[in-house]
Amino acid sequence: MSHHYLEFKNVSFSYPESGEVLHDVSFRINHGENVALLGLNGSGKSTLLLLTNGLLMPTTGRIIVGDIPVTKNTFPIIRQTVGMEFQNSDDMLFMPTIEEDVAFGPRNMKLPEDEVSRRVTASLEAVGMSGFEKRPAFSLSGGQRRAAAIASVMAMEPSILVLDEPTSNLDILARKKLIDLLAGFRHSILLATHDLDMARELCPRSILLSSGRVVADGPTDEVIDVYIPTALKSRR
Amino acid sequence: MTRLEKAQYAINSLGKGRGVALSALSLLVVTLLYLLAVLSVPLHSPQKLVWLAIYPVIQSEASGLGFGFILKKSLWLIPLLLLIGIFNPILNNATAFTIGGFAISEGWVSCLSILIRGLLALQAALILTYSVGFYDVCHSLRHLGCPKILIVQLMFTYRYMGLIVEEAINMDRARKARGFGRKNYPLSMWGRMVGQLLIRSYDRAGSIHRAMLARGFTGNMPAGKAHNLDKRSIAFIFAWSVVIAILRFADLSGVINHLLVR
Repeated sequence: MSHHYLEFKNVSFSYPESGEVLHDVSFRINHGENVALLGLNGSGKSTLLLLTNGLLMPTTGRIIVGDIPVTKNTFPIIRQTVGMEFQNSDDMLFMPTIEEDVAFGPRNMKLPEDEVSRRVTASLEAVGMSGFEKRPAFSLSGGQRRAAAIASVMAMEPSILVLDEPTSNLDILARKKLIDLLAGFRHSILLATHDLDMARELCPRSILLSSGRVVADGPTDEVIDVYIPTALKSRR
Repeated sequence: MTRLEKAQYAINSLGKGRGVALSALSLLVVTLLYLLAVLSVPLHSPQKLVWLAIYPVIQSEASGLGFGFILKKSLWLIPLLLLIGIFNPILNNATAFTIGGFAISEGWVSCLSILIRGLLALQAALILTYSVGFYDVCHSLRHLGCPKILIVQLMFTYRYMGLIVEEAINMDRARKARGFGRKNYPLSMWGRMVGQLLIRSYDRAGSIHRAMLARGFTGNMPAGKAHNLDKRSIAFIFAWSVVIAILRFADLSGVINHLLVR
C-alpha cells in the first residue's frame, strides 16, 4: 500500500470569476501520514481538497495519487483511492435511506452485493450508526448525519481520506468520537480544519495556506504556535 | 409541522417505499398491464372502468397502504382531469342515454370516463411507488429496457424536488425567525425569494453532484436489489394478469345481471 501517496507539483488553480485562488502549491503526503490543512476562510483549503479527487482540475501543475496522475481517464481509480467527505454532510446524503447512501460508492465500484452489504454494515458500525440503516437522512441530527457521511466514504475503503471541516456542527461528544474514529484509520488523512486542537491531536504534520499559497509545512505544533500567529499578524 | 415539512416527509416516503415483500419489477409489470387495460377501455364505456377499480382496492390493501390513503392522494388530480374533460360535454352533446327523462350527452359520458380512468391510473401508479419506492421503480423500468437517460432524469427530478423543498424550508425558517409574524409581504419580495430559492437549489444541486462524482458516479444510478423475477413474482404477475384480463374483457355486469334475473 506504500504507493498510495498524494503529491501536488506546482499546482495553480483559477475560478473563472475570482481569478487564481491557488498559486504554485507543492507538497507530498506519504502513505500513513495524517496532515492537517490550516488557513483562514478563503485561503483555498476547500478548493485544494476538491483538486485531490479530480472534482476540479488544476489550471497548471500536476497532481499524482500513488503514481497515477489525476486526469479525466483516471477518475474511477482516483475516486476509489481518495475518499472525500464534504463540509456540508447534507450534500453527501442524497438517497432515500442511510443504507443506500453508504452503499452508493461501493455499488458504483461494481462490487458484488454481498460485499456491498458487508461494507455498509462495517462502516456504519465503525461510526456508531448501526441500527440507522433504514432511516432517511433528514430525520438524523447534525452529528449523526456527519457520521453517516463519513461512513459513506469509509465504505469505499479509500487509501487516502480527505475531509473538509469534519468537526463543524458537532457537539463535544460527537467530535471526540470522530477524532477516535479517524485516529483508527490505517491510511493517510488530509483534513482541512479550523479546529486546531483536533489538528494537534490527529495530525503530526500541518500545511498552512494563506491566500492560496503554502506558507508553512511542518510539525503541527510549530505551524500552529509559530506560523499561524505570524500569518495573522501580517493580515492585520 | 408546516406544509413544507409535510411535503418533505411525503417526498422522502415516496422514495423509500413501504418495503413490501414483492419485487419491484413484478409490481411494475402488473401496473403496466393494468394501465394498458384502463387506457384501452373506449371513452363511451365508463361502466367497464368501474370493474377495473377492483385492482387498486385490493392491491393497496395487500400492500398495507390502505385504499383510503391512496384514494385521498389521488383526489388531488381531479381538477386537472376535469380541465381535460370539461370541454367534451360542450363539443359532443349527442344523447347517449336518458335517466328519468333527463338526456345525458355523450360528452358527459366521455368526461366521466376521463375522470375515472385518470383516477385509476394515478391510483395504480401511487400504489406502485408507495409500495416499492421511487428508486426501485426507476431501476425496474431500466431493467425493462427504458433508456438510461430517461431513468437518470427521473431520479434527478425526484431528488431535486426534495432539494428545492429542503431549501424552501430553510428559507421559510429564516424568514419566520426575523419576520415577527408578518405575512403581508409585497409581491416583489416573494418574487425575489423564489429567485433566491432557485439559485440556492442550483448551488446545492452542484454540491450534491460533486459528492456523487466523488463516490464514483458516472451517469448510472447503481441498483441495489437484484431485479430478477422469482417464482413468487411470476405467480403474482400471472394471477393479476388473469384477473385484469377478466375485469377488462369479460361482461361481468351481464353475468351478474343474468344470475340475478335467473
